[in-house]
Amino acid sequence: MARKYAILPCNGLDKLQGPLSREVALALVEETGGEIVCPVLLNSARPRYEKILGELPLIIIDGCGTKCASKLAGSLNLKVDRKVLIADEMKTSALTPEDSLSLGPAGLEFAKALATLLAEDMPEEPSADLSADFDSPVEYTSVTHDKFIFRIPAAGFHFNENDCWVRVKGTRARIGVSDYVQQNLTDISYFGPPIVGREIGQFDDAGTVESVKSTMDVISPVSGKIVAVNTALVDNPEIINEDPYEKGWIAELELTDFESDRELLIDGAAYGEIVKKKAAEAQH
Amino acid sequence: MADDTFMGVKRDLIDWHPTIDYSKCDFCMECDEFCPHKVFERREGDPKLVVANPHNCVVFCRACAKTCGPDAISFPGKPETIAAIKKIREAGG
Repeated sequence: MARKYAILPCNGLDKLQGPLSREVALALVEETGGEIVCPVLLNSARPRYEKILGELPLIIIDGCGTKCASKLAGSLNLKVDRKVLIADEMKTSALTPEDSLSLGPAGLEFAKALATLLAEDMPEEPSADLSADFDSPVEYTSVTHDKFIFRIPAAGFHFNENDCWVRVKGTRARIGVSDYVQQNLTDISYFGPPIVGREIGQFDDAGTVESVKSTMDVISPVSGKIVAVNTALVDNPEIINEDPYEKGWIAELELTDFESDRELLIDGAAYGEIVKKKAAEAQH
Repeated sequence: MADDTFMGVKRDLIDWHPTIDYSKCDFCMECDEFCPHKVFERREGDPKLVVANPHNCVVFCRACAKTCGPDAISFPGKPETIAAIKKIREAGG
């Protein structure tokens, strides 16, 4: 049983991504029983949606990179639980919608498939934490640059040079962002989780973290299938600031080929050297 | 950043940077405002925006493309780039 959301889609009429957003929203309503929030009406008559927005979590379906729906939600100070960008989904999907404002069979199929994927990732109850394997305590070391101190796990973590870490236990892995990222972004105000069930490649995007200062794509150090996300971060993204390597983990994956992935990963000591270099460059 | 490396490979040997499709770009400058690495540069003439410092681009980051309304920014494929990096590393690059 999927959780109901208030669904705020792009309302674009002049680009394919607009009708696709609308279709994904309609298909999501069909699958989950959520409520569509019309961006035009929301903008001119917010009270119309006050009850829905008060009762249901909010998912935004942006069409193109202009992200009008996200900007509208931001201007109205709405709390956003999830975001989807159709333009980006089109790049990763195996389905190619027809280049037409009036949706053809492939466009409808794309919308239906994406809505199904999203609905499956909207459980009524958060799944139980199956990840006791990752509870063992982490010992830390640190590197310093000027007045900045960056914590790095002493062992058991691998890093990519995109400031993301992976901790592997058997065929499972947790990924997240480093202390350098959280200090750089400062107060993290939004966490956009990756979609559970999706297969990703090494260095593919696995969610976003945002602060008033910047937005960062989480670039996965490993390939695999996303089997869990840290749902606690949706309501409390500041956990990433407080504890980026343990409580602030981003996602859990069933690994595809870690032996191959690790060729392009480094250990904590090597990552520490990179952090020092990045911190020095950031000052100039 | 000319002496920079990524995963032990000289950055300027890695073909990873945005490419602007000028038939789509409307010069809204969102990408330039977003990118903190000075990859883009605004010009007085035509075109008004260029990829001036491609090797400043963070390898595997595509975040600027997600700010682009007209979808005018493209990047190389990640699997191809990973394969190319591994090949250069094997060759001792």
